[in-house]
Amino acid sequence: MTAQRILILAYGNPLRCDDGLAWRAAEELSHLDLPNGVEIITRHQLTPELALPVSQAGTVLFIDAAQHGVPGEIRSGPVKPQRSSSAFTHEFSAGTILSLAKELYSACPNAFAISLCGECFDHGETLSPKVEERMPQLVDQVRELIQAANTSPLPL
Amino acid sequence: MAEKRTIVIDPVTRIEGHAKITLHLDEQGEVSDARFHVTQFRGFEKLCEGRPFTEMPSLMARICGICPVSHLVASAKACDALLAVRIPPAARKLRRMFNMAQIVQSHALSVFHLSSPDLLLGMDADPAKSNLWGVFERDPQLARDGIRLRQFGQQIIERLGGKRIHPAWVVPGGVSAPLSLEDRDAILATVPEALAIAVRTLAWFKKTASGFREEITSFGNFPSLFMGTVKEDGCITFYGGQIRFGDASGNIVADGLDATRYFDYLGEKAEPWSYLKSAYYKPKGYPDGMYRVGPLARLNVVDRCGTERADQELAEFKELQRGAVLSSFHYHQARLIEILCCIEALEQLLNDSEILSKHVRAEAKPNALEGVGASEAPRGTLFHHYKIDENGLVRWANLIIATGQNNLAMNRSILQVAKHFVRGNELLPGMLNRVEAVIRTYDPCLSCSTHALGQMALRIQLMDTEGKVAAEVARP
Repeated sequence: MTAQRILILAYGNPLRCDDGLAWRAAEELSHLDLPNGVEIITRHQLTPELALPVSQAGTVLFIDAAQHGVPGEIRSGPVKPQRSSSAFTHEFSAGTILSLAKELYSACPNAFAISLCGECFDHGETLSPKVEERMPQLVDQVRELIQAANTSPLPL
Repeated sequence: MAEKRTIVIDPVTRIEGHAKITLHLDEQGEVSDARFHVTQFRGFEKLCEGRPFTEMPSLMARICGICPVSHLVASAKACDALLAVRIPPAARKLRRMFNMAQIVQSHALSVFHLSSPDLLLGMDADPAKSNLWGVFERDPQLARDGIRLRQFGQQIIERLGGKRIHPAWVVPGGVSAPLSLEDRDAILATVPEALAIAVRTLAWFKKTASGFREEITSFGNFPSLFMGTVKEDGCITFYGGQIRFGDASGNIVADGLDATRYFDYLGEKAEPWSYLKSAYYKPKGYPDGMYRVGPLARLNVVDRCGTERADQELAEFKELQRGAVLSSFHYHQARLIEILCCIEALEQLLNDSEILSKHVRAEAKPNALEGVGASEAPRGTLFHHYKIDENGLVRWANLIIATGQNNLAMNRSILQVAKHFVRGNELLPGMLNRVEAVIRTYDPCLSCSTHALGQMALRIQLMDTEGKVAAEVARP
């Protein structure tokens, strides 16, 4: 079976402590022996240009920091195309990017969002102890999603 | 007796940074004055004091999330002057490539993402739909072209600099790594598509512009000076050359000016109602020394672009008005011509045998205590000026950024547009959108790295003399 193209989109601000946790996850994932066809992209924020690589993927995994919730909590779930109610490109969400990919490129890959709730969003390049502690679980969950995507459709 | 009133547009939308506009109405409800207020403050000149000069390129790149490369280049050139080195030819060419890739992606952002809703949907379009989504619906091919062209520039920056935002590849003395054969070939492979998009978009724009005759005659359509950097032979350059000033008649009023002596001919004035200073041409004083920079100004002062297709477009552009092209509406077309010029020039550089040279950095310790670096950023000429102590620590810094050099012209432009379109007794969104749209022609970059929290709604209020809201238009 040929591995499908999987795009990991890790985004956040690595200069705002836990907001940059997705960058750390992306770095750790890049050191793993991932299947062929997995591409990792890190970005400060989601922008319209990402609609193109998203449209070319079979599955997209969005990794982000969550601001509200219990610090260290990992949440995941499917993402559906959703038009933004905002006219501002600084506020694009994962659903908005999917919607763009669908409207401009007639492509709508399976998409999954996985987030880790942060504790500290102050200036700095280090992660809080709670996030550091949970980082291996986050990476494991992403790896499981990759394996699942390559064996059967994700439970969307 | 009727009251004097003020209309406030806060924030100005689809620009890079945060600003507001106030329109002052007289007793008859006619516009009597207009001001463009930049409401954010950065203070980079102060916060770099005491830091090692070698940090400046990376630190200064943080000024902006859209045009970090421009600051990197100007800052590195100022640091080259502190080292008193002549950087290797390949490094100079690679920096030129880097800067032109930046200009392509930044200009594409301005045209495709910020101004295309006005151009495609019209100035009077429903504000709720006058955004990117409206563009995606109306002309998906234009939207795809915008995405692809930005990606073209960003991928060059990423390949050269290691990352697309705040890359630290440009360093004092040159660049930190040579261009690989693999990256050179990969970039070259993307040139034909980018070129086709640039040509296609120019054709679309020229056809579209014919529907904006009233805007062309009233969008910053007034005499001013124009400033840009040219090579000795009068050809456009985005990296380095001599400063040239042209006037409204198309005459050259000053030529061969040394960019590192900017303080001899450029002055700056602060006004209490804005954090953005206004630059002026010293021989004419303030505010008569108003001048414009950026794509419109560059194309007005250069003799040629130096590439085949761009030169054909330049010849056509210079026929738009007699003398210099004065209307700021034409910034859009100038921007597209510069995109074309940069793509053609990038292809030439990529095919230059020297571009793969491994010798890309000159090493030295500080040999001068003062240095100036200047280059052409997407929005106009950019100057970085540093003074250091014997230990290499920055003691003083001055930055003159393009948007400040357009400040006088932007204020004059919104007054012209407001007087032409705004009637204070009946506020319509299209009137006020035109006031914003003329600002967008300049593509001001007030600070892209500062982001507002939450949703930025546009609210325009008519205030009476007691400060009470007399009328209000809210934008979702």
